[in-house]
Amino acid sequence: MASVKLTGVKKIYDNKVVAVHDFDLDIKDKEFVVFVGPSGCGKSTTLRMIAGLEDISEGTVEIDGEVVNDLQPKDRGIAMVFQNYALYPHMTVYDNIAFSLRLSKVPEDVVFEKVNKAAKILGITEYLTRKPRALSGGQRQRVAIGRAMVRDSKVFLMDEPLSNLDAKLRNQMRAEIILLRKQLDTTFIYVTHDQTEAMTLGDRIVIMKDGYIMQVGTPTEVFEMPKNLFVAGFIGAPQMNFINTKLINEGGKYFVEPFGVRLPVDGEKGEALAKRKVQTRDIVLGVRPEHIRLAKPGAGAISCTLIVNEMMGSEFHLHVETKDGTRLIVRVPTVDLNKAEREELVSGHEMAVTFEGKVMHFFDPESQTNLLV
Amino acid sequence: MKHYSDLEYLRLSKGQKIGYKIGSFFTGIPGAIGHFFKNIGGAIKQGAQAVGNEFKDIGSTFANGDWKTKVSFFIMGFGNIARGQVLRGLMFLLFEVVFIGYMVLAGAHWMAMLPSLGKVGPSSEYNAILDTYTTVYNDNSFKILLYGVLTMFFIIAFIYTWRVNVKQNQIAEKILKSGKKLKSGKDDLKSLVDDQFHKTLLALPLTGILVFTVMPIVFMILVAFTNYDGSHNGYTNNLFTWVGLDNFNTLLSWSAGSGGGQSYSATFGEILAWTLIWAFLATFTNYFLGMGVAMMINKKGIRLKKMWRTILVMTVAIPQFISLLYVSKMFARNGLINLSLMNLGWIKQPLPFWENPMWARVSVIVINIWIGIPFLMLITTGILMNIPADLYESARIDGANAWQQYTKITLPYMLFITGPYLLTSFTGNMNNFNVIYLLTGGAPTNPAASGAAGSVGYTDLLITWLFKITTGADSQYYLASVVGIMVFVVVAFISLVVYNVLPSIKNEEDFQ
Amino acid sequence: MNEKRHMGLKSLNRASNTVIYILLIIISIVWLLPFVFIVLQSFRVENTYQVGYVIPQQWGLDNYIRLWTSDFKRWYLNTFIIALASAVLITIIQLCMSYTLSRFRFKLRGPLMRFMLILGMFPGMLTMIILYRVLADLGLTQTNAVPGLILVGVASSGMGYYVSKGFFDTIPKSLDEAARVDGATRFQVLYKIILPLAKPIVIYTILTAFMGPWGDYVFARYVAMGTSAGYNVAVGMYSWLTNDQINNWYTTFCAGGVIVALPVTILFLCLQKYYVEGVTGGAVKG
Repeated sequence: MASVKLTGVKKIYDNKVVAVHDFDLDIKDKEFVVFVGPSGCGKSTTLRMIAGLEDISEGTVEIDGEVVNDLQPKDRGIAMVFQNYALYPHMTVYDNIAFSLRLSKVPEDVVFEKVNKAAKILGITEYLTRKPRALSGGQRQRVAIGRAMVRDSKVFLMDEPLSNLDAKLRNQMRAEIILLRKQLDTTFIYVTHDQTEAMTLGDRIVIMKDGYIMQVGTPTEVFEMPKNLFVAGFIGAPQMNFINTKLINEGGKYFVEPFGVRLPVDGEKGEALAKRKVQTRDIVLGVRPEHIRLAKPGAGAISCTLIVNEMMGSEFHLHVETKDGTRLIVRVPTVDLNKAEREELVSGHEMAVTFEGKVMHFFDPESQTNLLV
Repeated sequence: MKHYSDLEYLRLSKGQKIGYKIGSFFTGIPGAIGHFFKNIGGAIKQGAQAVGNEFKDIGSTFANGDWKTKVSFFIMGFGNIARGQVLRGLMFLLFEVVFIGYMVLAGAHWMAMLPSLGKVGPSSEYNAILDTYTTVYNDNSFKILLYGVLTMFFIIAFIYTWRVNVKQNQIAEKILKSGKKLKSGKDDLKSLVDDQFHKTLLALPLTGILVFTVMPIVFMILVAFTNYDGSHNGYTNNLFTWVGLDNFNTLLSWSAGSGGGQSYSATFGEILAWTLIWAFLATFTNYFLGMGVAMMINKKGIRLKKMWRTILVMTVAIPQFISLLYVSKMFARNGLINLSLMNLGWIKQPLPFWENPMWARVSVIVINIWIGIPFLMLITTGILMNIPADLYESARIDGANAWQQYTKITLPYMLFITGPYLLTSFTGNMNNFNVIYLLTGGAPTNPAASGAAGSVGYTDLLITWLFKITTGADSQYYLASVVGIMVFVVVAFISLVVYNVLPSIKNEEDFQ
Repeated sequence: MNEKRHMGLKSLNRASNTVIYILLIIISIVWLLPFVFIVLQSFRVENTYQVGYVIPQQWGLDNYIRLWTSDFKRWYLNTFIIALASAVLITIIQLCMSYTLSRFRFKLRGPLMRFMLILGMFPGMLTMIILYRVLADLGLTQTNAVPGLILVGVASSGMGYYVSKGFFDTIPKSLDEAARVDGATRFQVLYKIILPLAKPIVIYTILTAFMGPWGDYVFARYVAMGTSAGYNVAVGMYSWLTNDQINNWYTTFCAGGVIVALPVTILFLCLQKYYVEGVTGGAVKG
């Protein structure tokens, strides 16, 4: 149980490629922090620098107030779960879990007790005598977690632990990780490329791109107030729609004009714009698919053609094309439509949509940052 | 030559493609060579810069360092001991003492003799006690050269250690300034099985390579610039000395050697040409035939796969000298083959397997196939089985017949995977001493090359020629060294060209 | 036309399989025959010279008895000692080298590997002259050739790290990392995790290191310098086949060949699996 503090951490490889730029982050004791971003964004490298598996080129990493830059991984008080599990293939599950305890010369009866306790929590008691190759992916994942659990570490590191599992198992293990966290009650740092995992697991999410931190915040913060275009596009599925347009200030009333259709900006967003006295200007308008509503063709509605209709069960994902060829994704709950309306939704169907004014996002086209953050 | 973009290239016909590839291969060579020299130039520039930086760093360490650091410039390890790192310090100090001791007692002497390789040869002197003339041995050129090289290595090692010693002081000062503690001797020992474990692991292997490979090679390169041979052995008869580039001139000159016949360069050229032809044929005949056998055994529906393989694999295990010597005698003038054929009355005269140049050359290549196929079969079997079956399935659905499947899938896949192996195999065959020496010993003798050292034969490779030169009548070691250097140059050139020009090695990842 | 398309597959396959069987039988005969000849001739009593037939007219163990009374015993023992020592020492050295180059990333790693690549382009024979002189100075030639040959063979063996490095590269690095996080030192990682997993390549290395000396001719001849007591089997048996000796020793050579090849071949066939894994796993990737 410990805090982790990264100050100006940088990773520069031999070939002068900079993988991580000035990474600053304060992780509180018992916090669950998720690093998320597309592959190559430096999230794993950062985690591995915390673990001591990668040299820190610049800056310092502190665990529990102690600078650990020059410490070997084994001396940092960490435990880690690897993406490909990294189970020792020549040892039984029992020996795998007991490995670290035996290295630190823990008496065998204590080892036995601890291994059994961990196995019980994870539900792998019956596999203790097996070799890893005789286990399924999910079972291997549990063994890997068990191996990390018995170390009683200050910080628990997980590097994409679920990405090798199939979708169903992934959902199940995600729930178990939440339970595990409650039981261990320690600091977690979790790396993933999957925004759903990040949103569901993290107390705080660190969104990274090309070695830079894009935004740090709670799941609600990053979803509702994305700092920039990248975060807005990365968090949320299907992805947010982006439209180049104008923001118009008419005496304190705000409008946007996507595809030549004037739509009012109201609610909190309108107030926030007014408070900042934003003038008429070019913007990138961001609208999440669930904030687009079907509308009657006519004034105040954007007419478009349906290209593809993805029926997801509880909702429709409609891919539509406006008159100037821009593609938008619209998310419509199935219950909102009656049978006749549902049957209309075939490719080529001419329709119209409108945007929810109080949940729009406004970005500067140059700096790509959110005007309201 | 016109350069096509990738997309334009795809539109060419098959013949045009091959022509374009060959063309771009050859037009690529000057570029590759130019690139190579540019790289060397760049490396030299970088090296000079690095040396400059080193001196700057040393200077600033001295100027900015405390008195412990300053003393360490003269007494190595002083700073370490003064700062409590006794073990490290003592190691440095010990090294310095040994070095100075060695230089005073012996090293300086050898270095002084190195430019002349000895002044006084053996002489006859009257021995009053025995009342006879005895030979008194004086300088020993061989030892001078050997210990001279050793001493140079030692000096380089000392300079490096001294530099490390200075650097350590600099680092130690920095660490102490930042308020941290230095590693103790115990920590140092511990780190040798942990974060410095690679140093422990490499110590022994690298020492072996340094002493038994690097130093001999440096020595032999130097020998190429002397007149060291049987009659100038440097001790018991005549001293040897530096002769500059004379030996290279001899090998590449148009004049004949001492025994007459054709010029040295012609002999060298002939052997080099045969060496390259041999290496090419030996590599590719084995490669394709071995792959063929492997494919036959692998084919679906062929039974007893394991037995066929074992029969061939067994022959890999039998030491080559037995099979080669036996086969060599089998094909001899009075060997099993000739005698049986004559007994059967099929031939009247023995077939000249080892007497006729052409017969001998073909024979060694054929017998080499016999030797090499089992090994290639082993290697290719594994890779062939690793080719994803769906590649073949989709090819069959696309309408490819067996031959097309081979040329479009199997062969490209194999060439990509085994590209590096083919290169090493080619250079290995250039230096394939065993097969040639044990089969023919280089025979039949090439009368035109009688002027060259070491009775050159038609099947001699550069490497067997080198061996013959050193073991021949007047053991022209200097010439052997020159030939050895030439082998290196050829091998290095081929490797460089292949690595830089052939796309199959560059794009190794394509199939993975 | 349609007919042909339908019946083609099966009969075509049968025909091609028949051709393949015939070829395989021919190949097997060609590859085995010389060895069968060696064995047969080793039992020939009536004539010690080359003759125009293979099946002995008079069978007997004379050649093997003659081996026993000649220097062959000594050569065999020499070779066996060298092979055994090489198997142990070369394996240790090559494993150290290849494991380090596969797992550690230190500053001089790249230059070191490039340097060794370049060193390997020099013909090894070039160094024999000086190595011989050095060994002679140390008193390790002629009758003492055995320790000399072991020393030289083992010392440079680190250069042959390619195959086993290729194998180590296939063991996932995350195993090392997991072990280090679990509290293992680098030494413990090697000893407890990597070595148990590297069994195939260890056996491969031992096997090749053991087999090498049985065929080592040129340097062994250099170091022994005509002293029979320092010969290995290759040098000794080669001396039987020179023009003035072959008349007396040809059949004895065959008997010696059988005695040399037998244990090595049996060992090889037993460990074949590992050998194949080694060459295909490591050798090809280089």
